[in-house]
Amino acid sequence: MSAPTDLGAFRAEVRDWCRSNVPDGWRSAQTGVDDAGFVAFQKDWFAALRARGWAVPHWPAEWGGGLSTDQQVVLYQELARADAPRLVLAFVSVHHAASTLFEAGTDEQRRRHLPAILDGEIWCQGFSEPEAGSDLAALRTTARRDGDHYVVNGQKVWASGALHADWCLLLVRTSPDAPKRRGITYLLMDMDLPGVDVRPIRNATGESHFCEVFLSDVRVPVSCRVGDEDAGWQVAQATLGAERGMTMLELAERLGHAGFPWLVELCRRPDPTGQRPIDDAAVADRLAALECEVAALRTMCADLVSRHETGDVGPADASIVKLFYSELLQRLTDLGADVAGLGGQTVVAKPASSGWESGSWVLDFIGSWEWTIPGGTSEIQRSIIGERGLGLPREPMPS
Amino acid sequence: MSVLAEHHDELRAVARSLLAPTSPTAGGGSSPGPVDWALVADAGWTGMEAPEHLGGSGATFAEVALLAEEMGRTATAGPFLGTVVLGVGALLLVEGTEGPDELLAGVADGTATVAVACADGAVDAVPPAAPFRLDAEGRLHGRAELVPDATEADVVLCLAATEDGPGALVAVRRGDPGLTLEPADLVDATRTAATVRADSGAVSPASVWRLPVPVEEAAGALADRAACALAGDALGGARAMLEATVEYAKVRRQFDRAIGSFQAVKHICADMLVATEVSDRLVAAAVRAVAEGGAAGPAVSMAKAHAGEAGVQVAGAAMQLHGGIGYTWESGVHAHLKRALFDRSAFGSPRAHRRRLVERHRHP
Repeated sequence: MSAPTDLGAFRAEVRDWCRSNVPDGWRSAQTGVDDAGFVAFQKDWFAALRARGWAVPHWPAEWGGGLSTDQQVVLYQELARADAPRLVLAFVSVHHAASTLFEAGTDEQRRRHLPAILDGEIWCQGFSEPEAGSDLAALRTTARRDGDHYVVNGQKVWASGALHADWCLLLVRTSPDAPKRRGITYLLMDMDLPGVDVRPIRNATGESHFCEVFLSDVRVPVSCRVGDEDAGWQVAQATLGAERGMTMLELAERLGHAGFPWLVELCRRPDPTGQRPIDDAAVADRLAALECEVAALRTMCADLVSRHETGDVGPADASIVKLFYSELLQRLTDLGADVAGLGGQTVVAKPASSGWESGSWVLDFIGSWEWTIPGGTSEIQRSIIGERGLGLPREPMPS
Repeated sequence: MSVLAEHHDELRAVARSLLAPTSPTAGGGSSPGPVDWALVADAGWTGMEAPEHLGGSGATFAEVALLAEEMGRTATAGPFLGTVVLGVGALLLVEGTEGPDELLAGVADGTATVAVACADGAVDAVPPAAPFRLDAEGRLHGRAELVPDATEADVVLCLAATEDGPGALVAVRRGDPGLTLEPADLVDATRTAATVRADSGAVSPASVWRLPVPVEEAAGALADRAACALAGDALGGARAMLEATVEYAKVRRQFDRAIGSFQAVKHICADMLVATEVSDRLVAAAVRAVAEGGAAGPAVSMAKAHAGEAGVQVAGAAMQLHGGIGYTWESGVHAHLKRALFDRSAFGSPRAHRRRLVERHRHP
């Protein structure tokens, strides 16, 4: 924990840095940009943060991070306040890939990949499959041992950013006859290996960052295995929560500093008849209800981060935050789309590199399902909250 | 754990053992009757914020709010809102003179109960004006509707505008002919309220306690205390209803399974927990703001708007998930639902508090 005065100085430092480093007019430049333009901009922004030491603030100091939890909170608050771009492309690299390596990787794997991530190595996640969505442990992609390699065959889906990824966090089935959670192995796969074929899926907003990944006889070295053979499910469980609430905190701060104030601004703008939506009692009521919820979300995320710090995270805390955030995002962007009206329909592109609340309200609203479905649907979260948080009995499994 | 957090845990534990017998769900009865006020005073709860030389504990509003939450959990009847939340809050404004100090000491030792007529109708989040007026001849005029705990109070403190100066609290003793009380029947049997009317009766100068702050400011601060405590009460009720529902869903079996294993039931329980958690954060922020004594308005309105609605949502879901049993008088769930409805409406509806919040955003 840093003393408040140090934190104040740090806040001023971040604010100053943002003032001279957040690229002017990045939103309009990133609106309607092609894929190459998006990737180049993301890599530049990552490099700028890295140069200042703030690209991976949550990593241990010896690997290039080392900010205290309080400082990370301040950093994300100030980036949100400055309306800085988000690290979209590097998200899996700096969070999931890194936490997997820190929690379960070998020294050699860490030395190979962590510096490379700082230099811009991009990762994607190959977990879900067409027949293994909410029931992830039902995954069928196989890996057959052949000397010092695994030969991988199967199909992955919803691998965000796979088209630009250098490496992939991959879950494969190594023991087809074992109970389904005990036959899974965790691999690190080079996306340039022969037999890896990536095809983008166009999503509901028209973007194509999700991909299908087809794997045919891909030979992954055994040295790229994380944890023991058949222990991949446990590795995945241990590393999925290892971002310690900080990514949710970043999103909550963006909702507080950007999403909600923009919605207020939208509601103050007179419509063609000269009426301001905020003067409509129904709009005003919804707006204020959202303000309460955003305030609570920010506190819940800060609590989650500090509970990680003190080691008393409840078994459903992360699910509560994820469920509340995603449905709040949906309500907030819904009001934005409603207030923006028919005119809002004419905003057909949103800035790439922005947060989930980009100010393109109709597209933001449609995009909000990307929060209520992936990463455990809202229904899955409610079951987790009921079972792990409240101790309610599990659904009986069909025999 | 901090010293303060430990102190609060202890206070909570004491509250749970002292208040448990009056819980309508635990006891199985429907009208637990008011808590023994002498017991409450003995525990030091009535004088929580009163200075030590008057028999109080010199504690803060944070401890008062904690007790309000615990009383919501057990749907405790008794004049806590009128005497401790509003009464002590009002008396602290005029503390240091003989009359108020004597009354504070009486509240602290449990021999006096108080009601504060500070808002007329309680329809808005911020009281528009003092409900009473003291004219130059020392006669009191005005009325305040549905004043909590006024029916049985030993003293009613009327918030009054005055001809000169910022305003005053006018202390009217029980039975004084200058003041008429019309007790109301309430659906929530754990609360009492009366309409307080002053028809130009003369009051003694000794019972006029001049305020150090403008009367509107005093009215606003008192309304914030009440709204914050009611939000805490609603939160406590929601916690109790969530716990009771989860316990019931674990043991009640239908179709050869505990009903809590059905997603339709489980997911409602999850939503009850989320609503309770969200209220918890907003109430905590509001309590901090009121205890610190600064501008607490926005934090209080957020808490009151959300916890007020969540209390009704959670108690309603509890009734639903308890099935037919939940609808019976015997189960006591209705007592919590009715109390949640009182909490939601008193001292500003959720909509009123949201209007207050949105005012800050109307202009850049």
